[in-house]
Amino acid sequence: MSVALKFEGYHRPGNVDQALEVLTEYGNNAQVIAGGTDILPQRPGGKNAGNGKHLVDIAHMGLDYIKEGKDGIHIGAAATINRIGAFPLFSSSPYLALSEAVACHSTQTIRNRATMGGNVCNASPCADLALPLLAFDVRLMVTGPGGNRQIPIQDFYMGTNLCALDSNEMLLEICIPFCEEKTGTAFLKLGRQQTAIDMALVNVATSLTMKGQCCNTVRIALGSVGPVPFRATTAEAILAGNRPDKETIHQAAKAAADASAPIDDIRATAAYRKKMVAILVRQALENSLRRYKS
Amino acid sequence: MKKIDITLTVNGEPHEMAVAPGERLVDVLRERLGLTGTKEGCGEGECGACTINMDGQAVLSCLMLAVQADGATILTIEGLQKGADLHPLQEAFISESAVQCGYCTPGMIMASDALIRNTPSPTQGMIRDALANNICRCTGYDRPVKAVLKAASHMKERTNG
Repeated sequence: MSVALKFEGYHRPGNVDQALEVLTEYGNNAQVIAGGTDILPQRPGGKNAGNGKHLVDIAHMGLDYIKEGKDGIHIGAAATINRIGAFPLFSSSPYLALSEAVACHSTQTIRNRATMGGNVCNASPCADLALPLLAFDVRLMVTGPGGNRQIPIQDFYMGTNLCALDSNEMLLEICIPFCEEKTGTAFLKLGRQQTAIDMALVNVATSLTMKGQCCNTVRIALGSVGPVPFRATTAEAILAGNRPDKETIHQAAKAAADASAPIDDIRATAAYRKKMVAILVRQALENSLRRYKS
Repeated sequence: MKKIDITLTVNGEPHEMAVAPGERLVDVLRERLGLTGTKEGCGEGECGACTINMDGQAVLSCLMLAVQADGATILTIEGLQKGADLHPLQEAFISESAVQCGYCTPGMIMASDALIRNTPSPTQGMIRDALANNICRCTGYDRPVKAVLKAASHMKERTNG
């Protein structure tokens, strides 16, 4: 049976100025779309995210690039997740948290269309790619009528499906800073199925940068266990400046579980999720440490 | 609501049409072009019955608007066959009994076709990964995987032949 989705209009800007014109004209009635894989599925009640809105298709503005700059890797807002996964640098050891998250994100078929920009801007608490991005402490370049501004990813998530973009702003690119030497990272996802499409019950990413025998920079990002993906800073502080021995990792994993605030839902209970946070964080830290050593 | 003029090349034939912003690609293929080989199952990107090949990649036609496909080259299950000859994937799905009710088959074959185009000798793991978005509720997955392996080796022999 054919389905007519209820969109008021479709706009295909060829550059940023044209996109901002449309966003300014329609304000809250505009919905930016790239791949569309999160916007188009029907929700209960025949609704979808862009219902009644003017679609602004950003897939034809030259924003599908992935390139190395002076300060890091720049990923355009419309770059598909599969293209990001195929970028050679990301299969090298310090960036494995990202390639692991890509491999767990939906399926190959969906990743041919879905973009990292969409995964970030939809601001789902369980977005797989948000976690490595938090672990890499990326910056988001946003543009609006007043010009460009940078938002650290930690300040980007305002609530479930709510991000820091104003209605007349859009994401331009994500910059992943080059990893420092002696860095190991990892991503882990717990789902009912490990390979096919499923939302995470818990997903985590960790990044460890060592100085001598001790941890220098530590980042621990948690997903699906709060209204937004977030950093467990109390857990990070337990490791920072200390040797990552078994007991310290155990303490940090426990602190991460304490920092989590999951809910009971159809997928899992809050109590189960909390227990699994500690286990996944411990495993991810161990993987990060092993990778730094190798 | 303003309609948008688009062009699509489907199975080698060019088409021009005006579509509404909310018209999905799967509906344009099935109802405007009469290509009902592409199926719709769940309509939310989980079952893969609507998988087609767009510009060389497997994509879900229920998760795309027709306007997003403007200018694209599309291949559906109807475009695989050459004259009276079935495509090696179609032959292998038959000979391996990888079809039961058949509803998922066009999607499975189009996902496999995109895989083989990009990776002529896929491993079993790669096939399973490529078909992870295609749900079958009757035959299961072992036979389709065998069929894809068989078709890939057959196609390779033919190319080297």
